Amino acid sequence: MFRGILEGMRQTLRSFFEKPVTIQYPEQKRPVRARFKGRHVLKRYENGLEKCIGCALCAAACPADAIFVEAAENTDERRFSPGERYASTYEINMLRCIYCGFCEDACPTEAIVLGDNYELSFMDRAASIYTKDMLLEPVPAVDKLTPQSTPPGVFTRSVPEMKDPED
Amino acid sequence: MEKQDSNGKFIVPIGPQHPALKEPGHFEFAVEGEIVTGAAVRLGYVHRGIEKGAEARNWTQNIYLLERVCGICSHIHATAYTLGVEKLANVVAPPRAQAIRTLVAELERIHSHLLWLGVAAHEGGFDTLFMFSWRDRETVMDLLEMITGNRVHYSTNILGGVKIDLDDEKITAIRKGLDFLEERTHHYLKVINTDETFLGRTRDVGTMSRQQAEELGAVGPTARASGVPRDLRVEAPYAGYHEFPVRLITATEGDLHARFVVRMNECLDCYRVIREILDRLPGGELATRVPRRIPEGETISRVEAPRGELVYFIKSTGGDKPDRIKVRTPSLCNWGTVTSVAVGHKLADMPMLLAGIDPCFSCNDRMVRVNRPDQSQTWSWENLRQYGIEYYR
Repeated sequence: MFRGILEGMRQTLRSFFEKPVTIQYPEQKRPVRARFKGRHVLKRYENGLEKCIGCALCAAACPADAIFVEAAENTDERRFSPGERYASTYEINMLRCIYCGFCEDACPTEAIVLGDNYELSFMDRAASIYTKDMLLEPVPAVDKLTPQSTPPGVFTRSVPEMKDPED
Repeated sequence: MEKQDSNGKFIVPIGPQHPALKEPGHFEFAVEGEIVTGAAVRLGYVHRGIEKGAEARNWTQNIYLLERVCGICSHIHATAYTLGVEKLANVVAPPRAQAIRTLVAELERIHSHLLWLGVAAHEGGFDTLFMFSWRDRETVMDLLEMITGNRVHYSTNILGGVKIDLDDEKITAIRKGLDFLEERTHHYLKVINTDETFLGRTRDVGTMSRQQAEELGAVGPTARASGVPRDLRVEAPYAGYHEFPVRLITATEGDLHARFVVRMNECLDCYRVIREILDRLPGGELATRVPRRIPEGETISRVEAPRGELVYFIKSTGGDKPDRIKVRTPSLCNWGTVTSVAVGHKLADMPMLLAGIDPCFSCNDRMVRVNRPDQSQTWSWENLRQYGIEYYR
């Protein structure tokens, strides 16, 4: 009996000097892993054009039916993405989304990527619908906003030449 | 299960909403003083209509849906489903994919058993063990996050193979994690075999004989703790278990203590199997092509989930969606053992007994069958409404 208590106290004393396994969450954050599937991000090309071409393959693939895409025509004066069409509306319902990453797999232009953000909270249900503005990556420079005016006959290909994905 | 006749008996109802229950389920224990004289379970509070939902989604989308049947053994559900669909489509996943499936399944088993160890210890009032085992469970969850990206729903499987690959860096990390876990598991085995207070709560509690286990149709570690040699990984190897055989781990006592020992020994065997897979990981492709429309047919797919035998029935009519998917989870098979073994035990032992089978409520809430005098299975909306009015009158 007495031995048992001593043994227990020894354990307690030893763990005083161990590195704690817990972290102080809101202040301290643990980095996520490479394959982590967090909140979606819509990517852009280096020239500022959106990668999304509004094909709605992600919406078709989505097992939870969380994505809504509406496409519109690009013109050389008002160009959002390469090729003929762009997504005029892109909405993801974050309450429906199950973060499986199948939209990422379905995307032909690698436009939608599940990012690192896992801190999603809303004050009401309507706020859970993320619109295109909220999902799009920020513009790198002011002159690279979309829509852009582009020379005709340059951005005719909607799906870029791609190499095998690394990850 | 049958509602109990309450005349002359004192019945303690627990649930469906109860601070001690993690998931909703309703239990009625008839007691005489402290001793339980009868037990009944009522389930179905977390029925989500997943099987029906599966009929509205295509073959690939269903992997993600069915993975969400269970929060702990998610990978094994997807494995059972993909193996069944691959059988229907006459496709065999490449050896490397099979090995990775097996690897993730075994990591998941470790995760599930360590989680269970914590929960069961907590129900027994041994919160130190609960804290320790859940701390160590973080190690395996971290490994799973590293190789698959998620801590719980791994999304490893695709039809015809797997999505993820392993490289040297990941293999080294897994080995390091396993070394730590193995050391800890030996420690836990020592604790559950020597700690007197804990042995008082587990030894000769809920003893189930081999015959009883066989009659009640127990599966998984619950059955193996009673000496039933029943493990699908040994009996009917699937995925990578042909090449990486596992040992059948049984115990003869059949009490709660034996279940602890069986599960911890299984963890030790998992470490061995995972190391073997890492040593001899086959090379080659990760996936083969599977047609979008699966040929007509029916199949049964059986796998060993951490809690026991998991059965999937898949029926295809040749379209891009399944015609019917039926899931039978291991927790459902084990409920019978709780209600019959409970009789004669103290009421205070009930949480331990319930935790002993590692129940998963949302897993086993699959179908609601309403018993009617004429035994008919189809209900019209009007009938159902009438039934509801009568029931609550």
